[in-house]
Amino acid sequence: MSTTLAYIRAYIGRIVVVVCCLGILAGYYFTSPTVGGVSDELYTWNMCISSFTLFVGLITIFSRYGRSIINRDTNWPFHLYCLVLIIIWIPFGFHYGIYADLYQTAYLSTKITLHIAILGLLIFFMTSALYRTFRIRSLRTAVLTFLAVVMIFLNAPYLRSYFPTAGDIAYWLLNNPQMSGARAMVLCGGIGGIILGIRILLGHEKGALRVTGGM
Amino acid sequence: MLAVNYVTEMIYQGRAFQLSFLILVGILTYISYYITKRGKEWTIRPIEALDAIDEGVGRAAETGRPILVLPGISGLGSAQTLAGLTVFGEIAQRAVEIGITPYLITSSTDVVTASEAIIRQTLEAVGKPELYQPGRYIKWYGSGQFVYAVGAAGHIMQEKPAFVSAIGYFLADVIVTMETATRVGSLIVGGTTDQSATPLMAMLSDYLLIGEEMYAASAVLTKDNVAAGTLAAEDLIKVILLILMVVGCLAWAVGSRYIYNLMGV
Repeated sequence: MSTTLAYIRAYIGRIVVVVCCLGILAGYYFTSPTVGGVSDELYTWNMCISSFTLFVGLITIFSRYGRSIINRDTNWPFHLYCLVLIIIWIPFGFHYGIYADLYQTAYLSTKITLHIAILGLLIFFMTSALYRTFRIRSLRTAVLTFLAVVMIFLNAPYLRSYFPTAGDIAYWLLNNPQMSGARAMVLCGGIGGIILGIRILLGHEKGALRVTGGM
Repeated sequence: MLAVNYVTEMIYQGRAFQLSFLILVGILTYISYYITKRGKEWTIRPIEALDAIDEGVGRAAETGRPILVLPGISGLGSAQTLAGLTVFGEIAQRAVEIGITPYLITSSTDVVTASEAIIRQTLEAVGKPELYQPGRYIKWYGSGQFVYAVGAAGHIMQEKPAFVSAIGYFLADVIVTMETATRVGSLIVGGTTDQSATPLMAMLSDYLLIGEEMYAASAVLTKDNVAAGTLAAEDLIKVILLILMVVGCLAWAVGSRYIYNLMGV
């Protein structure tokens, strides 16, 4: 692709981003029905584009898993199983409709079961991570571990009956240092997000639109 | 007075202050941008987690193992995802230049499209466009939170990446992915602004980006002076907010709700 064409393509992309961004922002602030209409229209376009990208995801899965099955890569039977499930689910959904009892039962009885299995597994991941984190190696890790123990007391009624003040300490920690730290993080994160948006609009955020430099 | 009433009617109740603040942020950012364009040099304090990205890429180069980027479970509408994609762009460029494969796993289909564009542009920029294949670098295992986590964990077990960057919007899924990455000996840089996931990140990652540090990634990694200038504007806005908070608290203490009402809380 020639440099001029790449440049034009990048600028068209940036103009679309700027117009859409301002259109949606205006819909949030202004009461005008026209502005609201434009904002709604842009949201609808966003939904349409997102729906189309779902097909991109499907194509990616078919392309990757298909290659894996043909080449008999590691775990290819699982990839085959996944593709068979996708192929069965799509016509099944089209035929019965996604709100049909049969579809919902089949979907939930597989999805919820697997979801709960993963949630159950989290405790094992969590335990090994906690073991590494709360090893006392310095004064700072000792303080961290002490605070964690106080929090455990808060959530263990049996232990709180022996150490009733632990609850007060835990609530003080939650309502003062934790709350102020969390709010500072939210405020700074919000401002950081706005500045990131402005950098994208100015073309100085290389990640999202990384073809050219700034305007 | 009539003009004020007209403007008040034009803007949704409680959002006038937000709009004014947004305009102020825009103006301050543009001023810093303008100052930078006129030759002002900015220095950014060292951010350990962002410096660790070079260490991670170096480790991948030494071991010959790939790099994995996780931009989280949100779509392109989230600023955190955009920050994650920025880091992906920079990491991908460093990786492909030295022949390391960068992977990205996302749960959102719109991020798949954007990431494919980023990796294609990166390969073109480093003069290796022939390496581009759709679906080779960007993986999508499903849109559910734990579907994503399990898919990413499986990928980590299979590829054993030397470096994992988890910058974006995460929830409890981060436990599965990052603990698996720890098991295979990956260097992990984590970053999120979500309050519930930050403690998990702190527990599971080797280096952590707290709060707005993740949004400063591109300025630090690219050493772009103009991007650094926008960070200076960000600091100025924080000072203004701090003054507003102090004045608001003092006003509240003496019985005035002016600042409180002005903000439309």
